[in-house]
Amino acid sequence: MKKVFVLAESRNGHLRDGVWEALALGKSIAGKLSAELTCIVMAADGAAMAQRIAQECGKVMLVEDAKFDHFNSSAILKALPKLLGDMDSYLLLMGNSNSALDIAPGLSVRLNAALAPDSFGLDVKDGALVALRQVYNYKVNTEVSFKDAERVIVSVRAGSIPYTLSGDAGGNVEKVDSPIADEPLSIRFKEYVEAEKGDVDIASADVIVAIGRGIGEEPDMDVFQSLADTMGGVLACSRPIVDKNLLPKYHQVGTSGIEVKPKVYLALGISGAFQHVGGIKGSPLIVAVNKDARAPIFRVAQYGIIGDVNEVAPALEEKIKELKG
Amino acid sequence: MDIIVCVKWTPDTSEAELEIAKDGTDVKKDDLDYDINDWDRFAVEEAVQIKERRDGKVTVVTVAPEDSEEMLRECLARGADEAYQLWDESFEGADGYAVAKVLANFCKERPYNLILTGSLAGDDCAGEVGGMLAAMLDLPYASLVSKIEINDSTATFNKELEGGLYSSLEIDLPAALAVATGLNEPRFVSIRAVRKVASAEIPNMGADDLHLSADQVGADGSRVVYGSMALPPEGEGAEIIPGGAEQASARLAEILKEKGGIG
Ligand SMILES: Cc1cc2nc3c(=O)[nH]c(=O)nc-3n(C[C@H](O)[C@H](O)[C@H](O)COP(=O)(O)OP(=O)(O)OC[C@H]3O[C@@H](n4cnc5c(N)ncnc54)[C@H](O)[C@@H]3O)c2cc1C
Ligand SMILES: Nc1ncnc2c1ncn2[C@@H]1O[C@H](COP(=O)(O)O)[C@@H](O)[C@H]1O
Repeated sequence: MKKVFVLAESRNGHLRDGVWEALALGKSIAGKLSAELTCIVMAADGAAMAQRIAQECGKVMLVEDAKFDHFNSSAILKALPKLLGDMDSYLLLMGNSNSALDIAPGLSVRLNAALAPDSFGLDVKDGALVALRQVYNYKVNTEVSFKDAERVIVSVRAGSIPYTLSGDAGGNVEKVDSPIADEPLSIRFKEYVEAEKGDVDIASADVIVAIGRGIGEEPDMDVFQSLADTMGGVLACSRPIVDKNLLPKYHQVGTSGIEVKPKVYLALGISGAFQHVGGIKGSPLIVAVNKDARAPIFRVAQYGIIGDVNEVAPALEEKIKELKG
Repeated sequence: MDIIVCVKWTPDTSEAELEIAKDGTDVKKDDLDYDINDWDRFAVEEAVQIKERRDGKVTVVTVAPEDSEEMLRECLARGADEAYQLWDESFEGADGYAVAKVLANFCKERPYNLILTGSLAGDDCAGEVGGMLAAMLDLPYASLVSKIEINDSTATFNKELEGGLYSSLEIDLPAALAVATGLNEPRFVSIRAVRKVASAEIPNMGADDLHLSADQVGADGSRVVYGSMALPPEGEGAEIIPGGAEQASARLAEILKEKGGIG
């Protein structure tokens, strides 16, 4: 494998953070394989972004077309196979964003490539690529290898690859004509829509009590609200709680919800999927209550109680009231 | 409006104590409870709601062994019109690509305007089968979709991006859409509805029926190989506060007080 590509995602003329992680991983793999690294920018207006990437990467391919606006997946799925042509063997990396979920699987079929989605690592072992993934509700780590792999696509989990920006790569930007000039698109962008905002702003709370599916099928919400009140905090939740209409969307913590940075985050019956934990990374004190000792949430928490939330929540409220006197 | 819904038969691992199986490349599954993948229940409900608004037929399909019949029957009770189980022994060991291939060959043989899937399965946490299936059928595709509205030859919907942002998109039909959880409220299934479908026929189709050769299915038709699996060591990370609910809570209250967690 002599070529490594990184597909750079952007929104409204801004590069997404996933670009830098994919690029860092791409550099490390290109080094191990003595391969050439190229970053591909597909955007309506991408010159500035391509220049910025060239400060970090020796070779940048810039393909401009209004059809790539809003990172339109139908345009990218059409154009990228044409740009990569019939090159035999390469690794293609991209950040595993919500947009990438629409692109990577389809690309793997169209490029005849093997796919390791949402990988948190990638290495070369005995000359072959091995990706690291998590399976079974993110509780188990696994290695993924690629069969007869001439072409491989890996999408990189957000927050999994450390990177530093040096700004001194002095790379070259090569402009390439868009290969899809006159074709109509099967998916058309209309507008951006913001999630509804509510009466509480969990992003600015110092103390958060967050509830997850572990509170049970027919939970007594008052127990948790009351605990949050006693702690002087707000009630937040994981995605399934919003899906069940137990709390409105603006209480949801996570990558598709709200990023929070409280002084204290108490997670009750939350497993700790990375999309949830991605929203609480800045919190100095995370405490988790879960009946499963192996729940991933304990890997990011400083303190944990292994037990039933429906027993711990009222007991904890009692004890806090006693301490407050 | 004919809709095909792909549903996955998945082990519920969110609360189970997992153990790695002997050969080290999977978890022990004998004691796990299987059910429909969470996301797919929303896909079935969405299909049935669209049918209720616009007529047509809802077909549910799974690539899974015999036991999954229970899930397919529940989908019929939820309002699907027919259900297919795609399985023969040669499908064992398939990755997402080989599963998508089976589904693609199934879909090719029948009329549809829309294919619905979930955006992610809880077992492989991949989110790949829908997008691969769409590409195999040359259909436009989007995942994490809610607020679906069907027009004559197009559909509009919201695609979930990060941080509470959505993009409102229009797609040409036929299309494949992977739904987001929470886009609807899956209905309660009454005992009467379950009884009504108790004897409904659920056809099985294997490799021959689907015109698939041995090298296209199962492990042979796969592009990736899952190697060694490992559970992160127990007790990694958090300091576990010992004792029962009372005792542990008392200690936690003190810790919270120290750290300013009692406002
Ligand atoms: C694109 C995308 C975006 C997403 N965005 C988000 C997001 O923004 N926010 C988010 O939260 N999720 C998000 N998710 C979903 C995420 O992957 C998980 O499915 C979700 O976070 C799980 O929620 P949970 O922890 O409440 O439920 P589960 O994973 O089901 O965990 C429940 C936990 O409760 C424990 N438990 C059960 N009963 C008890 C009891 N009686 N006492 C104590 N513990 C108990 C169990 O051991 C388990 O650990 C997203 C997923 C995708 C694919
Ligand atoms: N074996 C299967 N049978 C039917 N549908 C499947 C199967 N595997 C995956 N799917 C569909 O693809 C979606 C994404 O699954 P995955 O790519 O495994 O994360 C699921 O929500 C299902 O709708």
